[in-house]
Amino acid sequence: MTDRIQTMRTFFVTDRAHHAHRRPAGDERCLAVNFAKEGLSDVRRASLRLQHVLETETPVVFPWERIAFLRTIRTIPAIFTAEEEEQLKAEHRLHERGDVSNICVDYSIFLRAGLPGMLDKVRRQREEFLQKGAEEQAAYLHEQEEILLAVQNLTERYRQEAQRVGNTVVEETLGALLSRAPQTLLEAMQLQRIIHFTMWCGNNYHNTLGRFDQYMRPYLEHDLQAGILDEESALELVEEYFLSFNRDSDLYPGMQQGDNGQSLVLGGKNADGSDGFSLLSRLCLQASLELRLIDPKINVRVSKDTPLSVYQLGTELTKQGLGFPQYSNDDVVIPGLIRLGYKPEDACQYAVAACWEFIIPGRGMDVVNIDALPFASLTRKAIVDHLSDSADFETLYSHVRDGIRAEADRLCDNTRGLYVYPAPFLSLMMEGCVERGEDVSRGCIYNNYGFHGTGLSTAADSLASIAQYVYQEGRYTPQEMLEAMETDFAGREEMLHTLRYDAPKMGNDDERADSIACRLLEDFSLSLEGKHNDRGGIFRAGTGSAMYYLWHGELGATPDGRRANEGLAANYSPSLFTRCRGPVSIIKSFVKPDLAKVINGGPLTIELHDTLFRNQDSIDKVAGLIRSFILLGGHQMQINAVNRETMLDAQKHPENHRGLIVRVWGWSGYFVELDREYQDHIIRRMELAM
Amino acid sequence: MLYWVEKNVSGFYLFHGYSRTYGVTNMQSGVVFEFKEFAVQDGPGARLTVFFKGCPLRCQWCHNPEGLSSAPQLMVSRQSCLQCGACQSVCHAQKENTSCDLCGACVRVCPLGLRKIAGQRYTSQELIRIIRRDSDYYRALDGGVTFSGGEPLMQPAFLSEVLDGLQDIHTAIETCGYAPSETFLSIVPRMSFVMMDLKLMDPAAHRHYTGVDNEPILRNLRSLCEGDTPFVVRIPLIPGVNDTKENLIASARFLQGARSLQRVELLPYHLTAGAKYSMLGKEYSPDFDPAQPVRTYTDLFEQYDIRSVVL
Repeated sequence: MTDRIQTMRTFFVTDRAHHAHRRPAGDERCLAVNFAKEGLSDVRRASLRLQHVLETETPVVFPWERIAFLRTIRTIPAIFTAEEEEQLKAEHRLHERGDVSNICVDYSIFLRAGLPGMLDKVRRQREEFLQKGAEEQAAYLHEQEEILLAVQNLTERYRQEAQRVGNTVVEETLGALLSRAPQTLLEAMQLQRIIHFTMWCGNNYHNTLGRFDQYMRPYLEHDLQAGILDEESALELVEEYFLSFNRDSDLYPGMQQGDNGQSLVLGGKNADGSDGFSLLSRLCLQASLELRLIDPKINVRVSKDTPLSVYQLGTELTKQGLGFPQYSNDDVVIPGLIRLGYKPEDACQYAVAACWEFIIPGRGMDVVNIDALPFASLTRKAIVDHLSDSADFETLYSHVRDGIRAEADRLCDNTRGLYVYPAPFLSLMMEGCVERGEDVSRGCIYNNYGFHGTGLSTAADSLASIAQYVYQEGRYTPQEMLEAMETDFAGREEMLHTLRYDAPKMGNDDERADSIACRLLEDFSLSLEGKHNDRGGIFRAGTGSAMYYLWHGELGATPDGRRANEGLAANYSPSLFTRCRGPVSIIKSFVKPDLAKVINGGPLTIELHDTLFRNQDSIDKVAGLIRSFILLGGHQMQINAVNRETMLDAQKHPENHRGLIVRVWGWSGYFVELDREYQDHIIRRMELAM
Repeated sequence: MLYWVEKNVSGFYLFHGYSRTYGVTNMQSGVVFEFKEFAVQDGPGARLTVFFKGCPLRCQWCHNPEGLSSAPQLMVSRQSCLQCGACQSVCHAQKENTSCDLCGACVRVCPLGLRKIAGQRYTSQELIRIIRRDSDYYRALDGGVTFSGGEPLMQPAFLSEVLDGLQDIHTAIETCGYAPSETFLSIVPRMSFVMMDLKLMDPAAHRHYTGVDNEPILRNLRSLCEGDTPFVVRIPLIPGVNDTKENLIASARFLQGARSLQRVELLPYHLTAGAKYSMLGKEYSPDFDPAQPVRTYTDLFEQYDIRSVVL
């Protein structure tokens, strides 16, 4: 890291000196009241709101920066009044906050056209609609044009401010962007910064970054050829750009501070079979390694052909304790997506949503986290209702399967009538939206819905316990087992010990548990097969948990020896109290299911003690461990380098650990900024670290 | 009752159908206190490390005190104990005023799972089967299995029989080298790789800090130096005990010219070494000041043409 980057890092991250430019929080409903009074359409509202924010933004240019744009407005006004929102909720299914989120736009559309080119495109298309008499579509494009003009206007004001403070680099870059498409890496990054900034100003969130090394690569190659950059100066530029993702991120909405969806994908097989990992991919890993910041969050696409050196670079990054990179396996994900109906050429383009869900840039309006199937509670219910009257394990399991099917039906039904607030700016970068004159919130090429699956290991272990101790050995009668669950094992310490520590567990390469996990996932996948949502899309089963692992953990005791309300594992991982033999057994367990069939996303997470990363030799071996998961058919993996003692100390003395970064579920955040329940869950997870 | 027979007599006899005489009387068994998957510091590549229970030395800095005694032992983690009394209520030894016979009753009732019995007896075939389970995996990561401890050479017949079943697997041993020559020579050259400790060159100091004479160790190390088995020498650097120039120079002189010596690994003392003593009801009271800084003379071995590294 150069001194210049170090100084900027201190300014933005340590001192947060730029916060001085922030205005006080505003009235969230300042626009909505008038919108309602005037009876404006939702598209018009979304457009006016974004224009309003862009117009009221005050340019701030620091003399020493090369990539500008800083949020000064804290509050993005809503487009509906509270009453209207209630009404919408009553009539429709709203997802999360209602806005378009957690998709990946195709930045290359905007980068290739440039600001003037985008304006031209929209104007031309609008003319066409007007000539055809397509008023509604023309009106929609008019909104997009207005937004682009507001972006242009703000860019011009930023240019003037740059001139005023004597920052000629920013002044010239913005001047160029106002007149043409970007040519250099700096220009491309500045334009993407403007685009990304504008997306948040429109209240869109979890604005992911997609295959950054693919769409930025031509600009780097241009600069290297033209002698504008060399490797070293390119690295510095990438670092400066990565820093910009940490300027305003505390203003971005999420479940917890850090959950902001700025995930970026590196590498990956292209449709022509070539490997997408390039010099730029390596520079990105290097930049992230040196900066040690939670944004952007790095994903690496790998396959059986990926050389060990890529994993070694990734493991160097893991060693920093950032909780990334996260790896996804093209050999499983791409066929899985094709199986779900994605075109092969689109499947090859997959990127990663805010956490781990696989999405197609510019083409997917998928809602990948619309709900979650709770394996643990469904299994528990089947056991409570049917253990006494099931003569054998297969009969009991058939009730579990019925439960999964019924719940899947319910979840699917519950997605009906989805209404999403319009996102005219994002629509500029989504396939066909301009050409159709239709907002992406109404749909795009892919309109699929994804369900997480939580508590898989708890469910599999519970059923394995019952198969072993009730049906096979007869050690416990069904009655005993049910009473134990009902009374939370009160007075049954020895039984609890047996179930917790002696019973078969997923994560110990034990067929007795693993085979049940395979069946549960298979049945989850089957329960969604052939079903369609009311946007013409399909449903995707997955292995993620998101925040559901805490919500679904509020559950009575289970036959795996889990006490009532004890937490579930996050994502696709062994149960929290499992005494796993080690990472090899975990990997061997977790590659057994046919993961291409549950490809919504959700990684196996393994916590490794930070001493395993002590020297180059051991880092190379950990890289081999990760590679083995990919070679054995794993779909997605994420490794954490952890030290439990450090976290316990951070709870006691947060002031000493402001920079301590941890992986939460699909994202990394600063440990001290998390709510206590999340901190505690992570510490519980650490107890399993190897 | 098949399960019981399988577990307690011998899987070997049941699965392979050899004569009862051969399967039972000839089969060795031994005590192992831990398996560690994916060990990265115990030899080339990634490895499964098997910790044999029992050690002839009593090094004052030992961080694996459960590896010292050959017999299984009860270990109790006391820090988060709720003092609920469940363990005492089931303890027949306490009631009968006898000593603990490791019945394991208390282990099974502790609500927090804080108790365990360190050390379990395995037949050689059982251990071979455990090692073979993932041996393909470790081979793919350029590794294999490592025998550590305790001191694996304390159970030579058992170890030898285990090695018989692992001839296609990369095997390594971590040994203190304190064993009769014939034992050492019958086992160690069969390994693919050897990691041997060299703690102190001075005989009196060695006796004081480890409880045994270093003469057999140096004799065995000499044979290793003269042999063809690739090996490394590990020196735990204990502050004020052996981290002196004199000791390290003497070590280097001893090792100079050993053709199969790959390098010397220096392992600085860790303050956490005493962590497990209280779990065995023991006190950690070393005869040196653990808080003292450790001295590392990194370039010293290079002067004798020996590669060295601090781990």
